Amino acid sequence: MENNLTAAPIVKKTLIGQRVRKPDAPEKATGKTRYINDMVLPQMLIGKVLFAGRAHARIIRIDTSAAEKLPGVYAVLTGKDAAGLKFGFVRDNVALKDQVRCEHDEIAAVAAETEEIARRALLLIEVEYEDLPGVFTPEAGALVGAPLVHQNFPGNKSLSFEFKHGDLAAAEALSDYVVDNVFRPHHVTHCCMGTSCAIADFDHNGKLTIWTQTQYPYNYKMDLAPALGISPGDIRVIQPPVGGAFGSKLDVYPYEPIAALLAKKTGRPVKVIYSREEEFKAAPTRQAAIIHMRTGCTRDGTLTFRSADVLLDNGAYTSWGPTIPVIMMRTTSGHYRVPVVDFKAQAIYTNNPYAGSFRGYGNVQTTYATAQQMDMLADLVDIEPLEFHLKNAQKSGEVTPQKSFLRECVLAECLETAAKASDYSRKRKEYAALRDLPGRYKKGIGLASSIHNAGGAKIHKSDGIGTILKVDDFARVTVITGASEIGQGIDAVITLIVAEELGVPLEHVTIVNNDSDIAPWDVGVHASRTTFIAGNGTRRAARKAKEQILNAAAKMLDEPAGTLELRGGSVVRDNCGTPLIELDRLLRRMHFQAEPELVMVSDYYEPKSEPEGAKHISDHSAAYSHAVHIAEITVDTLTGEIKVDKVTVAQDVGRVINRMGLEGQIEGGIAIGLGYALSENMRIEKGMLTNPCFRDYKLITAPEMPPLDLHFIESNCAEGPYGAKGVSELPTIVIAPAIANALYNATGVRIFNPPMSPEAVARAIDETRQAGGRRESE
Amino acid sequence: MNEIEQYLAPRRLDEALQAMANGDATVLCGGTDLAPQTESGARQYTAKLLNIRRIDGLGGIAAETDQVRIGAVTTISEIRCHPALAEIAPVLVEAAEHFASEQIRNAASLGGNLCNASPAGDMIPPLLVLGASVELACWRGGAVQTRLIPLERFFVSPGKTVKLPEELLTAVVFDRPAADFVGKFRKSGPRPALEISTVSLALGARIADGLLSNVRVAMGSVAPTPLRARHVEAALEGKPLDAASIAAAVAATAEDAKPIDDVRASAWYRSHLVRVFLEEVLNDVRGN
Repeated sequence: MENNLTAAPIVKKTLIGQRVRKPDAPEKATGKTRYINDMVLPQMLIGKVLFAGRAHARIIRIDTSAAEKLPGVYAVLTGKDAAGLKFGFVRDNVALKDQVRCEHDEIAAVAAETEEIARRALLLIEVEYEDLPGVFTPEAGALVGAPLVHQNFPGNKSLSFEFKHGDLAAAEALSDYVVDNVFRPHHVTHCCMGTSCAIADFDHNGKLTIWTQTQYPYNYKMDLAPALGISPGDIRVIQPPVGGAFGSKLDVYPYEPIAALLAKKTGRPVKVIYSREEEFKAAPTRQAAIIHMRTGCTRDGTLTFRSADVLLDNGAYTSWGPTIPVIMMRTTSGHYRVPVVDFKAQAIYTNNPYAGSFRGYGNVQTTYATAQQMDMLADLVDIEPLEFHLKNAQKSGEVTPQKSFLRECVLAECLETAAKASDYSRKRKEYAALRDLPGRYKKGIGLASSIHNAGGAKIHKSDGIGTILKVDDFARVTVITGASEIGQGIDAVITLIVAEELGVPLEHVTIVNNDSDIAPWDVGVHASRTTFIAGNGTRRAARKAKEQILNAAAKMLDEPAGTLELRGGSVVRDNCGTPLIELDRLLRRMHFQAEPELVMVSDYYEPKSEPEGAKHISDHSAAYSHAVHIAEITVDTLTGEIKVDKVTVAQDVGRVINRMGLEGQIEGGIAIGLGYALSENMRIEKGMLTNPCFRDYKLITAPEMPPLDLHFIESNCAEGPYGAKGVSELPTIVIAPAIANALYNATGVRIFNPPMSPEAVARAIDETRQAGGRRESE
Repeated sequence: MNEIEQYLAPRRLDEALQAMANGDATVLCGGTDLAPQTESGARQYTAKLLNIRRIDGLGGIAAETDQVRIGAVTTISEIRCHPALAEIAPVLVEAAEHFASEQIRNAASLGGNLCNASPAGDMIPPLLVLGASVELACWRGGAVQTRLIPLERFFVSPGKTVKLPEELLTAVVFDRPAADFVGKFRKSGPRPALEISTVSLALGARIADGLLSNVRVAMGSVAPTPLRARHVEAALEGKPLDAASIAAAVAATAEDAKPIDDVRASAWYRSHLVRVFLEEVLNDVRGN
């Protein structure tokens, strides 16, 4: 091509905002993907865990001798083998227990030749328990004289949080209307299609390789090390393809150190994999809470204050669940313009299953309260709800009481777009007028919104990412990145950004991101951060490579610097698109010239955000975003069934990067949120889960997914890659209160203890009818 | 933990019955209940696993004569897609429509659904209102012996029937419904697919000159076994279908439905749904 003046110009075509397929989609769709659950290593043993199956007990005696004698059994471990190896946020957990604090406490573990032998061995372990009285609600746990879950946590007190801003008494005095409700968000669980699984293997230097589903491979080493009594430096984390995570793999859970302890003992690789029932019982939950929330406003509909008094059911151990107040308080203080805020939260140990992090992280629970109270206040003030929301919506440049700086804020545009697209105001009035007329089926429409961090959240000392990028002699690009792929689609985003910057085909980009010995540091997949953080990291690395390439090209081709561009696999003149040399030829020339150079660059990106801090007054994310959902439903007032007819979504996405991935994240987020709203419910009775199966734990299935009308509002975030913001949690957060508000519009009832199951709805409607009409108390 | 030592898949009924003669075989057909129950430990396999799917003459729907006969291994999908059944007994086809999911309907057999004896078994209420009986066969005295049991007397308690361990359910039979027969089925649960019935209800009756006769009402998940709602039936028998008789029938559900609280629903909700469904199906019939 060089010197070939007849070559056609290559036109600039951007990939930003296009629909790009996930690189692993064909393999997943055709069943070729080998998930961690499918993996088999030579000499591998199978580990099985003996769970307590009771909520609170002392272990009087444990006898493993018969299990040890069973042919094919290589190791049997009990609490004494993990004694002192405490791990977790407050070091309250241990891989194998010498006391029972919850149903799924791991009492013993077996490594055997086959799963069948391991199962038989578990049956041969004799354990004598002395059951103890337990505490099964946070209220019960907080009572004076309540049984203690951990002797060293008096009052069963786990973590606590507080944030106050402004004069609450004065704000209350100013308020013409105050709504005051207690919400009780429930236990649900992630239901990853790939159940929890880890494979551990030690080498002769004592270095552990662990194949696991973790979504935070680097801090994971720090968290796993104390559970094994080894150095974090002696842990290599490999992340094979996983069948979902959604926050459930953001901590170390006992099956991981158990696999490692068994591997250490046997000198062979050991795989622990949960059955579905074990997964239901032993995997983390979404945090259950009791939220006493109050919101006030003046006669003209201006918010005056919001207060939240939160009690968290910590469960038996402290994982990410009880840390959700970090985000709960951001929503309490930042969901609309709230001048005065009073937030406090206390987590109380109970003998229930314990919570981890889960997509939406505290904001699902809080927004269920705040967004319903906005709806209630609008009715009390007797103001058009849209007008009420707009009146209190923040604008660009505003700062919340916790110092979240809303640089680009398009909440008003989201509200107006969704309301207009769904004809919200007219329908709401019309349905409310029909509410008390006869008729079995009632229509309702409900609006909810929320705010969430959309540029990471600096709850660790760093929220950064390392990226290494190399371009080989054939113009194939490899990105070695800390960004984990757990199904959310960062692989497609990275590929798209590299192709955008370097003008190479999407298929010519390879990503290496699953080995902690190779890829550089990243904080992990959480806080809607990966497209924002890894997107920036990838773009910065790609631009460094591009600069090196174009400088070399300018020199070699004797073109003025700054006039060249990479496009369609070639170096072109930026202004006219005339191709000058194919990229691969150029790269070979660079490599094999007298002063050879290879293209391999690295980058460390740290977003401009402030550490969360103990006082929680900080601009902790590099961006914030809003979403508005308007749900339209039909309620069968006799059976209580809610059919979701349509959901209109307007979300500030900053800028669309991969449109297909974005749509997928919103659809998937709504599916999880719908399950939370309508059907999913872990029924825990005295600490025991009574529905550990998909038959009785109801996920939303395809026929129940409503049509979605998606509107992406582009606020063009200055700090985000190409203007993008993080997107993935808001869809899960906003849908439940939108349905709750629609339910009220349709029937006049509210469900304060989700899910809004048919039975709960039928009962609430029936009680209201018995009471002789619509409840006015809300 | 029991191990399967022998797997049998005979072609002939007499072979199968001989294999069952000691009452020690685990019968497999679709496996849609057996597999999850053995997996969860609720049931154990015995040493002998007997697949009855390949037995000649155990499948198929014969609907041409005065008596309808449905072979035990007939799948729910076959019932759902059978044109003659849709004409003769739409209430049964309607229940098949609402049965689990496509995959399970393709595997699950009618006989299995009955022998599983779940109070929530979807095919049971419609067969009860059709007045169905089940045919049980065994090997005795060197020959195949059969007996016919009215379905209503088949169920003992959850998971238990009067069928002896050496007996095999071979077919379901019922008289071809009269021309003026109407049947309705209704079930509920929190979602439209893959749902275990919170409660189910079927109505079957003849309507002549505006009066109901031969009224049969069956309910599922309101007692340890699916049942015929005798008090509700009595409230409707011989009556015109009007507001008064419907109200009386709905009130009578309290006498028949004695549900419990469990993981799927409370007793209150089940009783409530029975009233709602009964009123709904009666109004449906009245509207037509």
